[in-house]
Amino acid sequence: MNRDMEPRPATPSGTPQREWSRFKFPDSLIGYGIWLSILVFLAYTVEYLDIPLDRLLGMFGRLGTTLADRYYPPDINYIMDADYLEYVIETIQMAYLGALFGLLASIPLGWFGSYNMTPSRLFVYPIARFISMGCRAVHEMIWAILFVTIIGFGMLPGVLALMFFSTGFAAKLFAEEIEAIDMGQVDAMRASGANLFQIMIFGVFPQVRVAFTGIAIYTWDVAFRAATVVGFFGAGGMGWYLKRNILQIETERVAAILLSIIFLVLISEVISAWARARVMTMK
Amino acid sequence: MGDTLASPAPAVKPTVDDVIRSRRQNRYAKGAFFALLLIMVVWSIKVTVIEDTDWARIGSLGKVIEAANRFIGIDFSLFPSLIGPTIETLMIACLGTLLGVFLCIPAAWFGAHNITPYKPVTYPLARLMMTLSRSIHEIVWALFFVAAVGLGALAGVLALAVRSIGFIAKMSAEAIEDIDPGPVEAIRATGGSDFQVVIYGILPQVLPQVLSVIVFEWEINIRRSAILGLVGAGGLGLVFFRQMNTFNYHGVTSVIVAILMLILLGEVFSYFARKTVI
Repeated sequence: MNRDMEPRPATPSGTPQREWSRFKFPDSLIGYGIWLSILVFLAYTVEYLDIPLDRLLGMFGRLGTTLADRYYPPDINYIMDADYLEYVIETIQMAYLGALFGLLASIPLGWFGSYNMTPSRLFVYPIARFISMGCRAVHEMIWAILFVTIIGFGMLPGVLALMFFSTGFAAKLFAEEIEAIDMGQVDAMRASGANLFQIMIFGVFPQVRVAFTGIAIYTWDVAFRAATVVGFFGAGGMGWYLKRNILQIETERVAAILLSIIFLVLISEVISAWARARVMTMK
Repeated sequence: MGDTLASPAPAVKPTVDDVIRSRRQNRYAKGAFFALLLIMVVWSIKVTVIEDTDWARIGSLGKVIEAANRFIGIDFSLFPSLIGPTIETLMIACLGTLLGVFLCIPAAWFGAHNITPYKPVTYPLARLMMTLSRSIHEIVWALFFVAAVGLGALAGVLALAVRSIGFIAKMSAEAIEDIDPGPVEAIRATGGSDFQVVIYGILPQVLPQVLSVIVFEWEINIRRSAILGLVGAGGLGLVFFRQMNTFNYHGVTSVIVAILMLILLGEVFSYFARKTVI
């Protein structure tokens, strides 16, 4: 990039003036090289994964007819049923509890996993980072399946799965937030002889309070989005309804359930955006 | 929650009494808010954890630990047969992200309010696209595409692509909204076409941010593609499902270890890639 800033050596008279280009010869090939390698990779991947490209083209027609024939009039009465609404409320409760427990667990994890405030960089920091990474790396569906096999069907495994999911999600954000604080206040407190907890409560927490609240609201939103489908593998909530109707090929009901999921997620997103904006103005 | 700062009286300075009164009101509002939260917690715990759980089936804590213990241990004999699905998972994630990037170009273009072509129509359209893509879980997208294109990796690729639009387009649109309008005006003033404005005025300004968002989304997509096999879209999820159904719990753990290793690799790569990009 800096090369075009260098002064160009004067061309001896007689040699033809070269046309200006941004990059000189070896560098000018890099761009083409990147595009070529992407193309080669694409071709190789399509070949390796055995992707039927002809199906891709026929997809839109088939999708259209399938949707119009089978899914089209969504069975709205089905999702207005009191039974179903009860499941919706249970889903909300599951997401709420899971996010709450996850947030409670992620506050110490965020503290221990922040490089500037961790009690011990050698032992506690890597362990906290590893735990939060492990929670985050395993998808919420896998958590749900594992907990369903361990404690059986119901909402408790859903709550636990969402708890692990939100722990991983929030702990990383909390740790990053703590790493971005102003260390002056922390140093001042440390100089006046405060212990670790006092530093945390009076030096760090007031600085990250607002950000934490925003993250907590966002975590709840994401947990709710996940909660609508963890039931798919037996962990309670609306996902279980979805699974059942898919297995019974009740496609019009499936369409209605999907619509209700989209609607609820949109509402939760609006609420969370509003609440976060509100919290930010209180700063 | 608190309304003290919401409506400051511009001319009159609040007296001490005013401050104390508003603080007291504030405290009541806060107390009511937290009481509401607490009631919701108690109610949720009562409904979900106490009433809904079949405690008799779970039995004692020892039985739970025993059930969890079945998962401890790794089936090493499974690893050679995991290499293929792992590569497949990685490739589904890469292809899905690439396709998602192409799909999100119109969404980002329409969704940035400073360059959207016709604001009353295209802007809400793009916002709707982003929200739809983000609000539907990848499992549901995968089910949808399995119905449309059949079992196999293609359904997974399409599901990931559609699912990635939301995040990439939203972040890109925000980056485009934050650009410096100077270069854009300069190019327009020298007679550049709309296309040239985008290529030379906007793209160079947002490229680092967009690239880092893409790498981030790719990292998330690895995580997602590992479970798409659960609904028939190929990759490690399929192996996971098979091991689960044959009650080979040690095999399940091996699959999870493979997923973790793949994600760790992706995270390290994404860390360095984002560092070089920015």
